[in-house]
Amino acid sequence: MKHIVIIGSGKTGRELALELSGDANVVVVDKSLKNLDILGDDFNGKKIWADALDINTLEKAGVKDADAVYVITGNDNLNLVVGKVTKRKYGTKKVILQVNDTMKKKIFKEEGLTIVNRTYLIVEVLRKCIA
Amino acid sequence: MYVVIAGAGRLGSVLAKKLREDNHQVCLIDRNENLCNQLASEMSNIMLICGDATYPEILKEAKIEKADVCVSAASNDEDNTIICYLAKELFGVKRTVARVNDPKHIPLYKYMEVDNPIDSTSIIARIVEEEASFTDVMSLFSIKKGRLSIVRVDIPEASPVANKAVKDITLPQNSVLVSVLRGPDIIIPYGSTVILPGDEVIAATLIDVEKDLVKALIGKI
Repeated sequence: MKHIVIIGSGKTGRELALELSGDANVVVVDKSLKNLDILGDDFNGKKIWADALDINTLEKAGVKDADAVYVITGNDNLNLVVGKVTKRKYGTKKVILQVNDTMKKKIFKEEGLTIVNRTYLIVEVLRKCIA
Repeated sequence: MYVVIAGAGRLGSVLAKKLREDNHQVCLIDRNENLCNQLASEMSNIMLICGDATYPEILKEAKIEKADVCVSAASNDEDNTIICYLAKELFGVKRTVARVNDPKHIPLYKYMEVDNPIDSTSIIARIVEEEASFTDVMSLFSIKKGRLSIVRVDIPEASPVANKAVKDITLPQNSVLVSVLRGPDIIIPYGSTVILPGDEVIAATLIDVEKDLVKALIGKI
């Protein structure tokens, strides 16, 4: 089974966690208990209530041996720092970040980080609507 | 020097004032508009930018590429690491200094290659601990990230070195007596100088033998 770490249990994190937890070991990290609660009873993975900027948390979540780490909190800067540190320190194969600022997306596009930007995605979809 | 300071809270604004007093060029950045307006009326000769320093265009506006040092003094660690990272990687600033808000986040600063993360919480905790403890020893300051420290030791009656000449005292290796404070007098010790109870001794020591030095001067820790 694949080991997936999701940092940030907002709307996106929740949907992703529920989607993936059917056939993967999913660990969700959030510093807010309330956010972890919205995962609901259907979620059968592990929840970690902790600060993702503390590398002990990253270790507890098993980012080192993870097949993929998603860093998708609502805070761009936190996502970038946690994503970069995960890649640099643990060499995790797939690190996927959500970065909403388009300028920052360009700067940090390196070192094998996959950066997903909401605006670009929507523009892409809208463009395809008339293709 | 030209110094760009991100974060105009207490630390950032006090630092900006101090640097101005020493005739350095300073640019202060903060995203809080009210704070910027207030500072603008209080401070002169400081360039103030109201904006989010984690955005490259704001750093560019601050002409950060001309800065000798970038200091990031924001109250959260993700912003501080990103600001220093951008200053270095994007604008080639040679020296980056940041305030660490939570000591647990120090590794982040290391992996984001911030030159000088200053862990204010631990520094203050250490000072408070020293001030609150009843020992007769006080660290005056340290250099090289705490490896060499200058300490002040009050010599008690029962000290093993009381009433002895300096030449008859055995101190641990890598430590040395710098001066003896006796009432209003400052004595630079020679071999023949006799240490008296009630003296305050200033010594320089490497941190790993500090305990041994204190033991040699006080007799206990």
